[in-house]
Amino acid sequence: MSALALPHSVPIARRQLSRRRGTTAAAIVGVAMAILLMLALRAIFAGMEARLTAYIDGTHADVVVAQQGVTTMHMTQSALPRSALAAARATPGVAEADAIIYRAAFLESHAGRRSVVAAVAGGPLPKIVVGRAPRDAEIAIDRGAAEKLGAAVGSSVRIFGTPLTVSGEVEGTAAISGSFAFLSAATLERILHLPSAVSYLLVRGDGSVSPAVLAARLDARIPGATATTRPAFAASERRVVSNMTTGIVRAMTLIALVIGVAVAGLVAYGQALSQLRDYGVLRALGISASRAAALAVSQVAAIVAGGIAIALALLWLMAELLPALSPTLVLAIRRQDLAQAVGFALVVALLAAALPVIRVARLDPATAFRRAK
Amino acid sequence: MTDAVVRARGLTKTFGAGETRVDAVANVDLDLAPGEIVLIMGPSGSGKTTLLSMLGGLLRPSAGTIEVDGIDIASLAENDLPRFRARRFGFIFQDFNLLSALSAEENVAVGLNVGGARGRDARERSYDLLRVLGLGKRLSFSPEQLSGGEKQRVAIARAVANDPAVVFADEPTANLDSAHGAETMRLLRQLAKEHDTTVVIVSHDQRLREIADRVLWLEDGRLKAMSALVRDPSCGMLIDPAQARARLHRDGATFYFCSRGCMHEYEEEAA
Repeated sequence: MSALALPHSVPIARRQLSRRRGTTAAAIVGVAMAILLMLALRAIFAGMEARLTAYIDGTHADVVVAQQGVTTMHMTQSALPRSALAAARATPGVAEADAIIYRAAFLESHAGRRSVVAAVAGGPLPKIVVGRAPRDAEIAIDRGAAEKLGAAVGSSVRIFGTPLTVSGEVEGTAAISGSFAFLSAATLERILHLPSAVSYLLVRGDGSVSPAVLAARLDARIPGATATTRPAFAASERRVVSNMTTGIVRAMTLIALVIGVAVAGLVAYGQALSQLRDYGVLRALGISASRAAALAVSQVAAIVAGGIAIALALLWLMAELLPALSPTLVLAIRRQDLAQAVGFALVVALLAAALPVIRVARLDPATAFRRAK
Repeated sequence: MTDAVVRARGLTKTFGAGETRVDAVANVDLDLAPGEIVLIMGPSGSGKTTLLSMLGGLLRPSAGTIEVDGIDIASLAENDLPRFRARRFGFIFQDFNLLSALSAEENVAVGLNVGGARGRDARERSYDLLRVLGLGKRLSFSPEQLSGGEKQRVAIARAVANDPAVVFADEPTANLDSAHGAETMRLLRQLAKEHDTTVVIVSHDQRLREIADRVLWLEDGRLKAMSALVRDPSCGMLIDPAQARARLHRDGATFYFCSRGCMHEYEEEAA
């Protein structure tokens, strides 16, 4: 039974909240901002993680083969001999294998603007949304990078000091950590002077065995290599971001918690103090201490519920608007983050309600006879 | 009195301990009959509100019993007391104490909700009460939109909404002008005589003696019947003859004074 509006009873708590509209609105906005701070941060990092594996997820490879001990692309170097490709193709259960060369680089426009990219040569290309696939001395870049550099199809950009012509644009690979750029294998080999080495093998199975079994076979057949299923490889990539951001997320969540509790708690306590006389009268009229406390709790709960609703609405708005403002900023809203936000809000409500509830529950009904000051 | 609706025995309330110990109410015996209006008067700090709070089940006595319907509310469990209060008692406060966030009608309905009435029943009863009290066109008004007299009428409606056996009123006319004070007195009288509701009033207002069936004097926490008090012929103050500071026998009569100064003043004027 909610004290905010007992069935067919006068909704005392709702009336008290609506009477102090300004204070109530300020409290709801304060709590919403605290929840939004936490949710938005998590959504941004989730978006970063999703963008980080956008390329590898888009290859549809079953297994990724890298230099021994390497299970990521970002912030990693991997080198395999060209002979590894033949060994992979000869492995039972393999339908198709491609070698890619992967290097972190700066892409530079004529105007001197720079953008971090992962230069990839070989393997399947993501969908080209403008222009066409790169040929010799050409490069396809992400739309986000193109915007940042002020480049378009036909423009000239430099990578590793070599000028290349933009042949096309892809999208969905731009993250805060940078984007992907695609070249032909011949072009990148020539630029890097590495004709005999590749970075990774992208292997597709013929369906006769599971990706895990195929990875184990490739591990055994290719010396000096580590074969990882694509989901495991992508998870390993995401850990690169999560390892870097866990501390930040925790710190910001703690800050959000403190802000939320402080705002909701101060308002709830202020409301309870300003309504002590009302609570005293209600106690004198015959409501129990627990019911009076429930009234105070329901006011905090209403504020926090309002805060959650506004935070979710703003988060949705941010998720819609931010990518249009900045292609590198993508918000991924995950169920577990929403569940955590609700849990967080409950903690805020419990902590914020504690003091007012104690104060109201201990209120002496005889205070109703004391003169108003 | 065998048909007392409230029977208090040895009622005592002590605050503090040791040197700071104060007996706000000391060993009070009091019976309240149905339909009776009892006015309790006394100087400020004499324990009137403390006594009223104890009789109304708002404050637990340090000693003594308060029997209502054969139940000693002084020993009633903390969880049961609010429900008992809601159904058997009504309260009228000096500052009206209406809930500022609610309308006049809702203020009355809240009292009914607490007493167990819900929904349409509560709304209709609130409306009827307020209409009878001349507030039928003020139902949706907030307390701050009402005059002092109107607020007190809403407070009276709330107090009687659950047909209580006893209504406790603390200075019900203190914040009202004479016209509204008289109106409140009339309503309290009507409540007692037409509905057989016992009304206990604590007040300094001498006008309330007009409607009281019994006037009691509380001083230093002890209750005295007003008839046993005498008036100091010099300053007009009511005093207990047993505790008079001075007395004078003249022409076969005895005069009691609150101080020797008053007695000398009286003698000088008589001479």
